[in-house]
Amino acid sequence: MSQHYPALLVIVPLLSAFLISAAGWLNKRLCFPIAVAALSVACFSSVLLLFQVLDEKVVLYKLGGWSPPWGIAYSVDYLNGLVLVVVSVVALLNLIATQRNVEQEFSEKIGAFYTLYILFVTGLLGIVVTGDAFNLYVLLEIASLTGYGLIAMGENRAPLATLNYLYMGTIGASFYLLGIGYLYIVTGSLNMADISAILPSLYHSKTVLAAFVICIVGVWLKMAFFPLHAWLPNAYTYAPSAVSSLIAPLMTKVIIYVMIRLMLTVFTPKYIFSTLNVSDSIVWIAVIAIVMGAILALGQRNLKKMLAYIIVAEVGYMVGGAWLGNRAGMTGAILHIANDALMTLCVFLVVGNIVYKVKGYAFEDLKGLFRKMPFTMGAFVVGAMSIIGVPPTCGFFSKWYLISGAIQAGHYGFMVALLFSSLVNVILFFRVIEISYYEPFENHHGQESHPGKIAEAPLTMLVPLLIVAAGLVVVGVYTGDIVNHIIEFAIPKGIV
Amino acid sequence: MRMIALIIIVLSGGLLLYATQDFPQWADPASPASLHLSPHYIQKSMEETSVPNLVTAVLADYRGFDTMFETTVIFCAGVACFMLLRISRQTPEDRYYRHISTGVTIHIKDGGKIPDKSKEFERIDTMWTPFDLVIKTVCRFLIPFIQLFALYVIAHGHHSPGGGFQGGVILGASIILLAISHNLRTATKRMNEKLIGLLCVTGVFIYAGTGALCLLIGLNFLDYSALASVLFLDPVSARSFGILIVEIGVGIAVMATMIWIYNNVSSAGKYDEGL
Repeated sequence: MSQHYPALLVIVPLLSAFLISAAGWLNKRLCFPIAVAALSVACFSSVLLLFQVLDEKVVLYKLGGWSPPWGIAYSVDYLNGLVLVVVSVVALLNLIATQRNVEQEFSEKIGAFYTLYILFVTGLLGIVVTGDAFNLYVLLEIASLTGYGLIAMGENRAPLATLNYLYMGTIGASFYLLGIGYLYIVTGSLNMADISAILPSLYHSKTVLAAFVICIVGVWLKMAFFPLHAWLPNAYTYAPSAVSSLIAPLMTKVIIYVMIRLMLTVFTPKYIFSTLNVSDSIVWIAVIAIVMGAILALGQRNLKKMLAYIIVAEVGYMVGGAWLGNRAGMTGAILHIANDALMTLCVFLVVGNIVYKVKGYAFEDLKGLFRKMPFTMGAFVVGAMSIIGVPPTCGFFSKWYLISGAIQAGHYGFMVALLFSSLVNVILFFRVIEISYYEPFENHHGQESHPGKIAEAPLTMLVPLLIVAAGLVVVGVYTGDIVNHIIEFAIPKGIV
Repeated sequence: MRMIALIIIVLSGGLLLYATQDFPQWADPASPASLHLSPHYIQKSMEETSVPNLVTAVLADYRGFDTMFETTVIFCAGVACFMLLRISRQTPEDRYYRHISTGVTIHIKDGGKIPDKSKEFERIDTMWTPFDLVIKTVCRFLIPFIQLFALYVIAHGHHSPGGGFQGGVILGASIILLAISHNLRTATKRMNEKLIGLLCVTGVFIYAGTGALCLLIGLNFLDYSALASVLFLDPVSARSFGILIVEIGVGIAVMATMIWIYNNVSSAGKYDEGL
């Protein structure tokens, strides 16, 4: 069975999504257990797959039994082995943590909800595991389409925000497809490894340049890189809480993985860092992204939107780190994919718990919550420390690599931007913590008949949240191992 | 703002034109796209998959994994439409019924209703359409032939243009035609919502399940030659029949999704009586 892990990782969630959809019509109570089982299998196989990669370096799986350039192949190496574990673990923890929210918000359509949830995760896992540029697009479609459906189920303004996201996301995905089409015209291949083997003779082709520009702009649109970020804050804010804590940690991070994959495997580091002379300007755009994300976050008066703008800044971290063109920067970017997924999950799960109990996430709703929900807010503090970058949480270490990468590359603007955004994060989170710690609790919804009703969230929500919060510290402590055994080998030797 | 949009459009158009400079010549037999992968497909697809239509061979076998997810995309669209549009609990509403023989319309308040089976009354609402002899008769004659043609298209995808997607759309269109020419209630009486939802999932499940069956037999996912032992055929013909099985799955999924989306969109998610 061990040679089938790459397929099982995607197929088990896919088939389970269909079972859930059928169970939605026949027996609604089965939906959640099937979903948990499916993602547990995915988690389990992703971890085993990572161990397999540590032994064999690259795991290749030929779908349909056809060899790569003719058929579709899954190819798992150190880079996507790591991201696969992150995606499946985050999705499973969020699934368990948000069961109550989902019951509260979607009682009637629980089957459809979990179908879309699991298909979304399938899409992301498929994007990460594949070694075929077109197959990536198909899975991107699945992840996007289910994402739109899930986000649009949110509050009143969610459908409008989703429509905006849908336009931008569709343009982004089409750009990616167009770029792949251009590559196909000049190389005749869709397999990533095959394309990169053919490309060196075409480095000066205008078509390859255009394909590169279109692909990269397309993924920037999908990941909400600064000037193209306008869809993200509203979409993530108005989505149902179970959905924002799924999509916010995963979608942008997976797309950043796609960008790094395009840079390292498809277009090859030699082309993007030597033939093209753009990395410096892209890092400057990232600097603007970080600064603007931080400033816009300062202007927000509700927790969820503030966190959404922090994501915009974090996207700048990773894009900038990847384009610094040195080993430390790339290590920081890859490590930050994992770390940012975990810490975003942590803070969004906290928002989910608050919404479940308080029914709101504006700053006024947070007053006195430390007394009422001590564990939830404790986890929030850990998540906040990680986003700020306080050791020993994991956020510190990826920021450390990013900053040392910036110094090595002599790009002090990026370093200053990182420090600036950390300072702004201190202000942002201490403002929230101050409100929820010092201000007295009030019954802000006029429900005077139920005083003191707000209490700690139920255990099924709390335990996964505390696991994530502990995970932030554990990953931080083991950063050295992750970098030395996995990320070190994920970056090609050409990058020093 | 319009100015900025115009500049962006001109710039992207310029980029696309710039890229065409290095394109291979139109219909150039020496272009990379026709030298790298295509020769293998053209020369080998018959002996490797025994499918005469090589577009089908590439679509459903060499790159069958993509096609499975394309079917899943359609399924996702159906589920997303259902999730967003379907209104399951309605507040009691006023209803209008018309006595067919006299033409008298009665108004019932607060969710009261006349038994569904009643032959003397018909319900008047947004879905009600006046009786039109010509349209209804023509459509009643046409629908069976449309469905027969759809089955032909699905089954004949091996040899001629066609296959599950096209056939499924035609099949779905026949039911939608029934809903348009009669009314939605007539169509949902033939295929109720639960049946459509289950058919939709059955279709995609047939595709992915066939793949998983290959994996269980011991070969890679979607390697139809594994079906040889189940279908009592040689591995190459098993590929051909494997394609037929998944095409049928695609057809069912596409048909059901078409109808599902039409029902949800055309009735704004209300259907008839609620769930």
